[in-house]
Amino acid sequence: MRRIAGRTIYTLIVLFVSSIAVFYAIRLSGGDAIAARLPASATVEQREAFRELIGLNDPIHEQYLNYIGGVLSGDLGKSLTNNADIFDMLLEHGLNSFILGATAFGLVFIIGVPLGMLAAVRRNSWVDSSVMTFAVGGMAIPNFWLALLAVWLFASTLGWLPSAGCCSPNQLILPAIVLAMEGIALTVRMTRSAMLENIEQDFVRTLRAGGLSEKRIVGKHVFRNALVPIISLAGLRIGQIIGYALVVEVIFGWPGLGQVLVNAVLRRDYPVAQFFSLVLITIVVLSNWLADVGYTVANPRLRKA
Amino acid sequence: MSQRDAVEERRVSWEQQLVQFEEEQHVPPLRRMLQRMRHNKLLLFGSATGILMLFAGVFGPIISGADYAAQSFQDIHLPPMSDGYLLGSDGLGRDLAIRTFVGIRVSLIVAAGVTSLALVAGVVLGMLAGYYHGWSDRLIGGVVDFVWGFPLILVAVLFAGGLGEGLFPVILAVGLVNTAAIARVVRGEVYTLSEREFIEAAHAGGYSHFRIMWRHILPNILAPAFVLASYYVAVAIIAEAALSFIGLGAQPPLPSLGQMVADGRNFLRQNHWESTIPGIAIVMLVLSVSLIGDGLRDVFDPRLRHEAKGVDEE
Repeated sequence: MRRIAGRTIYTLIVLFVSSIAVFYAIRLSGGDAIAARLPASATVEQREAFRELIGLNDPIHEQYLNYIGGVLSGDLGKSLTNNADIFDMLLEHGLNSFILGATAFGLVFIIGVPLGMLAAVRRNSWVDSSVMTFAVGGMAIPNFWLALLAVWLFASTLGWLPSAGCCSPNQLILPAIVLAMEGIALTVRMTRSAMLENIEQDFVRTLRAGGLSEKRIVGKHVFRNALVPIISLAGLRIGQIIGYALVVEVIFGWPGLGQVLVNAVLRRDYPVAQFFSLVLITIVVLSNWLADVGYTVANPRLRKA
Repeated sequence: MSQRDAVEERRVSWEQQLVQFEEEQHVPPLRRMLQRMRHNKLLLFGSATGILMLFAGVFGPIISGADYAAQSFQDIHLPPMSDGYLLGSDGLGRDLAIRTFVGIRVSLIVAAGVTSLALVAGVVLGMLAGYYHGWSDRLIGGVVDFVWGFPLILVAVLFAGGLGEGLFPVILAVGLVNTAAIARVVRGEVYTLSEREFIEAAHAGGYSHFRIMWRHILPNILAPAFVLASYYVAVAIIAEAALSFIGLGAQPPLPSLGQMVADGRNFLRQNHWESTIPGIAIVMLVLSVSLIGDGLRDVFDPRLRHEAKGVDEE
């Protein structure tokens, strides 16, 4: 319990510090944002008046407090490029990202765990080595390159799936698989090693001596134990998926949070960049916290420490 | 295979290892190291590919002598092996061969920058945290855990948001995350080292903390740190390519492999080589660096097998 409380306090501090860091970093570079908003013909006085209007001339800690106050009261401001309300953007793109991320997250476990089990049960056979080759390959290939190969094969050459766009199930398949690939590879390896570790435990020998069928031992008892670290560390996969989503969403033209953030950075649309950075950081920090708590709950040895 | 076969097989391979180990004991250390390197086929293959890529990156642009930004509108979308264009040309009629060479050079420079930054900072921070325990450990450990928990690409996008696009923020961001990764492992190593007898003896001998760290601890953590760093070379190359792909890394006209892949992807159907050639270059770079990393680990420090993979289970 003390460990969980400690991690929670730590997480809150981390959230606070990173919100300051993001605010300062992006606000300090916000000078160009003016150019993004005003026509090139604007005079110096007009530019100055605009700076004053959006509060760029206030002391920076006041800007921060105003900003956080605004975020907490639901007033997020508007995009500098197309004047869209940031809260509406969050709802729209957040939903898209959630669909893609949740699908990828599901695939990680639906594909990764059975493959890892298969490799562990058929260890040292050709099944094992081909599954493990797949797992090593999945970790070694950069995902944007995998995305391109997938587009080339399934969209350009075979014409089975669309190469980009949103949001039909057909269009979801390729980005979700690419996004999930590294997580799948990691889960396969983790499942396999956790299964093998448990198969050698004393309780398995006892079960065998008790006359339980091998199928039941592996399928129920070993599997349950092996699942503990995988489920409890699932939070880490969320952070990983968010990082890769920045690239994958851009490649597949999937209008999610990642794509919005990258475009906002490229166009110096700093209110948008600021807010969506904060959103993504919060999700990452919370999912790391979740992994921490999950791991502590699953590991009685850590609970006291 | 039955259970018994598996046990038997393990016993036999264990005995072989034991025999090999004892044979090796009669060979001087350096020779032994070289011998083990020679037996490691993947390491040899990786080094050969790596040297090839290094050669391409360093001498390729000099030998071909062409300009990577020169455009020629008569010669757009030429296939490889065309007249005057060894690897073909892109949509602006630029020579793909020279652009690939320069792209490899950019990848290598970024990887070198990131890794030297991460290695020095990671070793220093990890050593301070692991040696002094106490508040410096808590402070450094807290910051390192904080940074390490973030996805690399997200950190780089934030840096690009603060500093603008370009290679410099990419190097800083990737360097920062890799520093944390190296510091974590170094800290653990130093932690166990600092409780060993020879360190206690050094304390008893009245040596200063600095001298103990510099002369007694550092030599013992250099090998694992270098092995670890070689993994993060691959991470750096992939990250730079991915960021340049989405437009946040190298800015035109400077070519980068990821950016070339992105430029070519609109022509995948007809002229796939505009993406596939730089793509293959990235894969070869990453593959060679990973194989070298794997091989070095096996030669120098078999214990790192799990930590270095970045596999984050406990």
